[in-house]
Amino acid sequence: MLIYGAMPDFRCLKEKGRIFLDHNATTPLAQCVMDKLLEWAKVWGNPSSIHQTGRAPKALLREARNAVGDFIGSHPLEVAFTSGGSESNNWALKGGYWTQKAKDPRRQEVIVSAVEHPSVMKAAKFLEDQGAKIIKVPVSREGVMDLDFYESALNEKTALVSIMYANNETGHIFPIPSMVKKAHEVGALFHCDGVQALGKVTVNVQSWGVDMASFSAHKCYSLKGCGVLYIRKGLVVESLIHGGGQERRRRAGTENTLGIASFGEVAKNYKDQVSSFYEKVLALRKRLEEGLKEFVDGVEIIGENQKRVPNTVGVILPSGVYGESVLMNLDIEGFSVSTGSACSSGSSEPSATLTAMGFSRQEAERSLRISLGWGSTEEDIQEFIIALAKIIRRLKSL
Amino acid sequence: MLKKKRVLVAMSGGVDSSVAAALLVEQGYEVVGATMQVWDYSKNTCDVSEGFGTCCSSIDVEDARAVADALQIPFYVINCEEPFYQYVIDDFVQNYLQGQTPIPCVHCNGFLKFKYLLQKMKELNCDYLATGHYAKIKRSPSGEYQLITSVDTWKDQTYFLFSLSKEVLPYLMFPVGDWEKPRLREYAEKKGLPVARKKDSTGICFIGKEGHGAFIRSQVGKDIPGPLLRYPSGEKLGEHRGIFYFTYGQRKGLGVCSDRPLYVVKIDPSNNAVWLGEEEYLFSRELKIKNVNVLGRIRKGEELKVKIRFHHAGAAAEVCDVGEAFWSLRFKEPQRAITPGQAAVFYRDSQLLGGGWIC
Repeated sequence: MLIYGAMPDFRCLKEKGRIFLDHNATTPLAQCVMDKLLEWAKVWGNPSSIHQTGRAPKALLREARNAVGDFIGSHPLEVAFTSGGSESNNWALKGGYWTQKAKDPRRQEVIVSAVEHPSVMKAAKFLEDQGAKIIKVPVSREGVMDLDFYESALNEKTALVSIMYANNETGHIFPIPSMVKKAHEVGALFHCDGVQALGKVTVNVQSWGVDMASFSAHKCYSLKGCGVLYIRKGLVVESLIHGGGQERRRRAGTENTLGIASFGEVAKNYKDQVSSFYEKVLALRKRLEEGLKEFVDGVEIIGENQKRVPNTVGVILPSGVYGESVLMNLDIEGFSVSTGSACSSGSSEPSATLTAMGFSRQEAERSLRISLGWGSTEEDIQEFIIALAKIIRRLKSL
Repeated sequence: MLKKKRVLVAMSGGVDSSVAAALLVEQGYEVVGATMQVWDYSKNTCDVSEGFGTCCSSIDVEDARAVADALQIPFYVINCEEPFYQYVIDDFVQNYLQGQTPIPCVHCNGFLKFKYLLQKMKELNCDYLATGHYAKIKRSPSGEYQLITSVDTWKDQTYFLFSLSKEVLPYLMFPVGDWEKPRLREYAEKKGLPVARKKDSTGICFIGKEGHGAFIRSQVGKDIPGPLLRYPSGEKLGEHRGIFYFTYGQRKGLGVCSDRPLYVVKIDPSNNAVWLGEEEYLFSRELKIKNVNVLGRIRKGEELKVKIRFHHAGAAAEVCDVGEAFWSLRFKEPQRAITPGQAAVFYRDSQLLGGGWIC
């Protein structure tokens, strides 16, 4: 049943008979994790126990924390494990806002970008209902953040800024380090949702300069149900989950040892592969984009000339073709991709990210996201382009 | 080897459409399942509690998904909230406000299942669209596609299909049309379908326990009171909260006391009046219909079996006039509560020939 992705140095699982091109949704499990799962499962003690049963799981956590800290460029103790990216984002926004407001009640403003992940947007909405003022920094159709707007929005009332490192739908990278400097000049905290950056570009939270940053294990070849909130040394953030004293009293709840160990294992094995991933995947993406332009008339690559993570292509398909129908057709043919929209969850609203970037509703309904990963091969890309071109030709003829 | 024919099955999460999908898989088709999500169950009247069989609750979507998993077929949720609102809900509300008793299922079939979903079927490169309706499609010796009543005559749902256009019939499949419900449940049980013992849905999917009146009120935002009048004298018997709470032939919940049983015999939107009278006033022979859809040849003066509501056995009627805008029919025997907004649907033996909306 197990076939491996193409790279010998970092192998991950692959579905038989399918081509997975949705790595921004989740990633296949790394073989190094697969190999150790049973071993970790046997270490079932509670890491917080004083007795010896708790020692082995505690050691697993420690090793993982060291490895993840190393992976993201932080001290291990700055790593707080959570249940995933959404919890990390919620914690950063709510905890960051409450902490700032407790210090200075005038700090009531939260700045986010207009294209953040729903876990940031909805958390911001929650704070708005609590009296916060939410300011959204526009992002252009080309994927460029309006930095003038950002700078003029910052002031002594800004409690917190939360901007993603890379966008999940388009892959665009935002200039975090310079934005952090500006935020710190007015005494605001800066949180970065780094979920889509990890494993795709070199991540170093210290050089970013951020106060907090979110990461997710399963977006990086590890198990689901595990994430990280990096919290800069010296910063005390109000907790989201109260209870026991886990994670240095920052996040209660018995640790997800398996998930955390998997994240640590990947961090350890993957850290030195990021640059080769970047090159390999960027080359594949170039092939993909060339193929799309050659074989699919009228396709638009979203913000093609802007800085993007190497694996992501957001496209607007030619008119008369619904992204959702293309997705389903591709699925039936054995390709996994996604639309920019949240249709699959039953909503009729097209992608909020794309509409915020100035795409019309009709354009957003024609969007498709293709995201590559370690297992992706040149053959995958070729087969995908052939299948997509065929599907679009047929749909346009209806 | 010939390529397998691909069929899109509209799966509601109920036992009928689940069996339809299972039968097609068994018959060797390449089957793709889809559920139309027609109503946002999180924000409206729909209640997802057990026993409230609706086609719009998340439970039903999850049931459909579980069946698709069991059958190992692709499955998609297709969002139809907007067209559902536009073609079904709006019309439903307007009809009630005009004193009629609408049948939203006909519009849902005509505009959503066999139009919107038919389009999706083509987009997904399918050859056919199948549903769990109790109905049959037959091809006559001359090559004409005919809509035929189901083997289970009690469950027969052709009445709700009268508005389909002739052009779509060649693309449709009704796999359960040859089945009787008890056997169908046995089959579901035997196949181990997770919905084998699920209760049948009854009534209108988006109407909750509080009934259609409460639904219309929630859409309109207020009651629209008017007089309750005695038929035929015109004596005022009291006030009502809105004509949309009433339907022809209704006896319960009228809000008046009388020594004789009274029924709604007429609803008049022009003066917002509900007329109450003895049952005898409910009977009539004549009816006029509009927006007639014809699926089989009908001659003027021909005597056909006509159904005037879903649970009507059907009665013999003569087609008196076939005009551009209206047709008129005359029943041999007087019929009770011929209700505006319902459909009159014609049959010759088991073949559905067409139908129109009662004026």
